[in-house]
Amino acid sequence: MFTLLKLELEKLFRSRSFYLSFLVLIGFVVLMLWGFYTYAERKTGGQAVEQFKYTYESKQYFNGLTFALYSLLFSFTLLLPIFVSMSAGSQIAGETRSGTLRMICTRPISRALLILSKFLVSAFHAGLLLAFFIALNLVVGLIFVGWGNLELYPGPLNLVDAPGKIMRDEALMRFGYAALSGTWALLVIAALALLCSVVFDSPAQAIVMTIAAYLTLYIIGRVEFFEHMRPYFFTTDMDFWRDVFKPDIPWQGLWHYACICGAYTAGLLLTTVVIFERKDIVT
Amino acid sequence: MLPDMWVKLILLLLFCLMILGALHFAEPRAAETPRSSATAFHALRLLTWNIGYAELEDDTRAHDKDLPAVADVILREDADAVALQEVTGNTQLKTLLRLLGGKYRGAVAQQGNTDRFEALLVKDAGAKFIPVPVGDRYALGVSFKPNGDAQQVLVLSAHADAFNAARRRTYTEALVDWAKAQARSSQVFIAGDFNFELKAANETNLYTDNLKHDSESYSHILRHFRDLGRTAGDTAINDRRIDYVFGPPALEHVGRVEVLRNAAVGRMDHWPLLVEVGF
Repeated sequence: MFTLLKLELEKLFRSRSFYLSFLVLIGFVVLMLWGFYTYAERKTGGQAVEQFKYTYESKQYFNGLTFALYSLLFSFTLLLPIFVSMSAGSQIAGETRSGTLRMICTRPISRALLILSKFLVSAFHAGLLLAFFIALNLVVGLIFVGWGNLELYPGPLNLVDAPGKIMRDEALMRFGYAALSGTWALLVIAALALLCSVVFDSPAQAIVMTIAAYLTLYIIGRVEFFEHMRPYFFTTDMDFWRDVFKPDIPWQGLWHYACICGAYTAGLLLTTVVIFERKDIVT
Repeated sequence: MLPDMWVKLILLLLFCLMILGALHFAEPRAAETPRSSATAFHALRLLTWNIGYAELEDDTRAHDKDLPAVADVILREDADAVALQEVTGNTQLKTLLRLLGGKYRGAVAQQGNTDRFEALLVKDAGAKFIPVPVGDRYALGVSFKPNGDAQQVLVLSAHADAFNAARRRTYTEALVDWAKAQARSSQVFIAGDFNFELKAANETNLYTDNLKHDSESYSHILRHFRDLGRTAGDTAINDRRIDYVFGPPALEHVGRVEVLRNAAVGRMDHWPLLVEVGF
């Protein structure tokens, strides 16, 4: 198992898409920073950005922590799932396309363990991406926007229904929690992409199908016509990760949705193993 | 090396554990009955209601034929003060006062730049109605002593712009500035339809100027007043909580807080919000 993991990690570090994902995230943070400054400048009529920080009659509403939170929430929904799908979706289908899968399977290794090691590598990639993204946002926020407490208001971000505040040190801890809860939520996407990777022979097909399924449920979940169906979408359950940013974390609900996401991940992985064991590898 | 069967069994076990965990941590389903506080405390009973119609109608202001039903609700709930929005004018007010059998006194706000008025009804015969200029609109206030108490109470009936969040913000800030100046001598309550769209989930964009304006307006009110109807749920169709009663932050008792969901008639798109408080 450890040899398998080591081999898969080596493949991950050798792939260009691994580094591309980090580069795109850096680009996104730069865009966020640019957007923040131009928006602030426009709203204050070319006055100092400092004036914009007085939003909500607070001297420090827009600070590094708020910047990191906005950036994280904006990107988590659409950007990170794409990279997780790319990473997990190309695990088996990529081997199929390059013709190495047949050779791997002729070796005396368990197919179930192969799937498991590929999933663990995808999970590691997802966790690393999220941790890197959070750290980068916090550093950029600290340097370019400034430090302060995390103030939350009803409306934007949809986190609270009454104004609330998280003190700076506690807020930093919450970003740490978010790295864990966010990675756990992203594992559902990774497991789905791995399943598609087993079902489809082309990595592009596997990635597109995963993203299509995710986006379809995500978009439908935001249309009021399908309000009654929303609780049954995994995209709704995945949203639990952001509860760590509420002033009082609703632990019971958070564990509930974390378990549902865990059930999706385990169920999808089990299905993937069963299908892969029976798969006739002809390429 | 673990045999394949073991991997599958572990995954199956994990799946079952997660399902059990989800069931274990599931929060009890909320009661289907309207949410309201259990304690009934009647020192002052306030009711706010936008009695206008949904956008589908040609005339979205209050309709004369609905006034008997409105009067029934007011009499049944025995409110000390009633803030109404989207009344067409003095004629409707007079009809309503007649239907209330002389139990209430009332007034409509001065006409601003709209075709509809805020109105106030109050039981106290000595009540004094006060026009409140708020930009190019008018809110209406009434100063009275409920139940013969020594404590002076000021209730405002307000209606913020339905279509423009920036205008709602200007209106709210002006209204709150006026109200907080009165709070030194009276217990001030602001009741009305503020049209705040604070549910970000309903927005297609993740961050909008409108959302920010409404969020800042709401937060500005909460700096000086308390949102008494927060637990009562939606007050208008399409899952919107846009009608509010704000009161003094240091209020001693908050009793019944309820959205009267069976009260709307015709094509009304709001339900009345009832709040009982003691101080």
